[in-house]
Amino acid sequence: MKPITLNKYQLIIMADDKQVVLERILQVTRYRGFLINGINAEVNTGNNEATITMSVSSERPITLLVDQINKLIDIKGVKVDNSRL
Amino acid sequence: MTESKTLTGGALLFEVLEEHGVKHVFGYPGGAIMPIYDALYDSNVKHFLCRHEQGAAFSAVGYARAAGTVGVCLATSGPGATNLITGLADALADSIPVVAITGQVPTAAMGSDAFQEIDIFGLSLACTKHSFQVTDIDDLERVLYQAFEIALEGRQGPVLVDIPKDIQLAEVTERFDKLSHLQNKVQLPLADINQALELLNKAKQPILYVGGGVGMANAVEEVRDFAEKTGMPSVSTLKGLGSINPDNENYLGMLGMHGTKTANIAVQESDLLVVVGARFDDRVTGKLDEFAPNAKVIHFDIDTAEINKRRAADVAILGDLKANLPSLVTDLNIAAWQQKLQQMSRDFAWRYDHPGENIFAPAVLKTISDLMPSNTCVTTDVGQHQMWAAQHMSFDDPSNFLTSAGMGTMGFGLPAAIGAQISRPHDTVIAVSGDGSVMMNVQELATIKRYQVPVKVVLIDNAKLGMVRQWQDLFFDGRLSQTDLSDNPDFVMLATAFDIKARMITKKSEVNAAVEEMLDHDGPYFLQVKIDAAENVWPLVPPNTANDQMMEGV
Ligand SMILES: Cc1ncc(C[n+]2csc(CCOP(=O)(O)OP(=O)(O)O)c2C)c(N)n1
Ligand SMILES: [Mg+2]
Repeated sequence: MKPITLNKYQLIIMADDKQVVLERILQVTRYRGFLINGINAEVNTGNNEATITMSVSSERPITLLVDQINKLIDIKGVKVDNSRL
Repeated sequence: MTESKTLTGGALLFEVLEEHGVKHVFGYPGGAIMPIYDALYDSNVKHFLCRHEQGAAFSAVGYARAAGTVGVCLATSGPGATNLITGLADALADSIPVVAITGQVPTAAMGSDAFQEIDIFGLSLACTKHSFQVTDIDDLERVLYQAFEIALEGRQGPVLVDIPKDIQLAEVTERFDKLSHLQNKVQLPLADINQALELLNKAKQPILYVGGGVGMANAVEEVRDFAEKTGMPSVSTLKGLGSINPDNENYLGMLGMHGTKTANIAVQESDLLVVVGARFDDRVTGKLDEFAPNAKVIHFDIDTAEINKRRAADVAILGDLKANLPSLVTDLNIAAWQQKLQQMSRDFAWRYDHPGENIFAPAVLKTISDLMPSNTCVTTDVGQHQMWAAQHMSFDDPSNFLTSAGMGTMGFGLPAAIGAQISRPHDTVIAVSGDGSVMMNVQELATIKRYQVPVKVVLIDNAKLGMVRQWQDLFFDGRLSQTDLSDNPDFVMLATAFDIKARMITKKSEVNAAVEEMLDHDGPYFLQVKIDAAENVWPLVPPNTANDQMMEGV
């Protein structure tokens, strides 16, 4: 079997604070073939915006996941920020 | 004291549906959606009672696809809601705008494993474009507006709205400000048209690869115009059929697993693919690494996530195809390429001469296609008959060929035809089905009976799950496993039980008269066409094989 190289990425996701938004992100992430190594979600009650930091790994390019998360209706933005890895 | 009439959640639903021009909905009632069915009484929306929620979902899909509008279906909580799921998955795979309304147990009972409670909101995550669960009556109107907007915006798709029973009964106190619309949050990057033009002008062997997005983008005219003005040879996906005028001399037919030999060879030899509303699906590309190995790619799409997903694009043009494609019309110097492919098309043309007295399915479908009135809408089920319909029938618009492409869902054809017929009462609608598939939503014959929907069903009966049988013969050493249907019901008797005029034919000599009788018949009609169980669909690109290595029949 050929060895698989997993690349690690850190995503910062800004989302509307909806109960279901975390579930949507988790579902898309798993379905698109990314492993979640860690996740942190916080809500700013002032502007009802949630910030989700997620580190993931996959053999697939991260743009695949970024594009799919971006398509979720409640998502305001996604950034790849590997500086804190 | 003047009495102001109160507006309940249920009544509000129909108000919003009417505001969105919805005239017809498909559904099935039950406990948790009773207040909505009560409000239906006082609305102008016409409800069609299907005989299974899956039938309702597919009728909504057929309605949406045939009419280019949103299809709406309703179901109760629990099993009613789960029965919608296959239809929603189908709509997601084929990007069809559907709004599904489900009843839910009252908010106070939610999360208690109440009778007929299922977390349809949770279940919807993987099979809808978006979904809502309304827990405050004053959110309902905004959510319903959003549901329609999301279903239609960008890449279209199904949206589910789950409404607990107490919300359906509650009194609306606050109205939603309709002017504060959703904003399209995705900012699409500007395309580099010049770079695309440069690729076009350099190309000697370009191919226009047409997908389902063309019809969805309402860009059939622009794509035909582009194909005609540039003279670029074109190929189509299953869902793209009808986009290119079938009489265009440079149109090569469908590509992919059961595509034409010319289309597949042309794509493999091309040096530029102009991809419009298509997504390099595995049924199209065959072995991806070997698909169109020498081609550069100009990819037009509305969905950013499709760019570079399966094949890298040299130029990506995101956004509205209708607006973007015309700027690429240019003169091409490709006469030699055109001539070569035209010659190939003639050399590899379909043949309908078939020995013996047995009916040859491709020939029947070709006959129907030649005799059916213009603007006939054809739906199919899934299997060999579906591929034969795609290969041997011609369509003048993508909204006239409705097939479950992305999901390949058996059971699609009959209810989709019902929806299509209801949306276009003056057009002929034909469902091409298989003896396996038709049984998957056969209960919808009762819907045809009740509303006298004049759908024509053409049952291609090989007494087999033919497509699976073909694969077992070709790739599993002929070890046939669970694909025999020789104990099928008497289909003529079955249709007759639903007051549908029915006839069975078994010989070639009967085909023309039977097809004419069917097309001339005023109401619903069921034509059972017996064919040889051993017939295969050719050509066939075996799994994980390059598209130019097709297997062909003898
Ligand atoms: C819901 C569903 N279940 C199973 C399949 C797998 N499948 C694909 S084609 C096929 C056989 C279809 O038989 P029939 O409708 O008689 O069509 P034929 O191939 O004989 O023309 C099956 C079982 C499917 N596509 N959809
Ligand atoms: Mg069959």
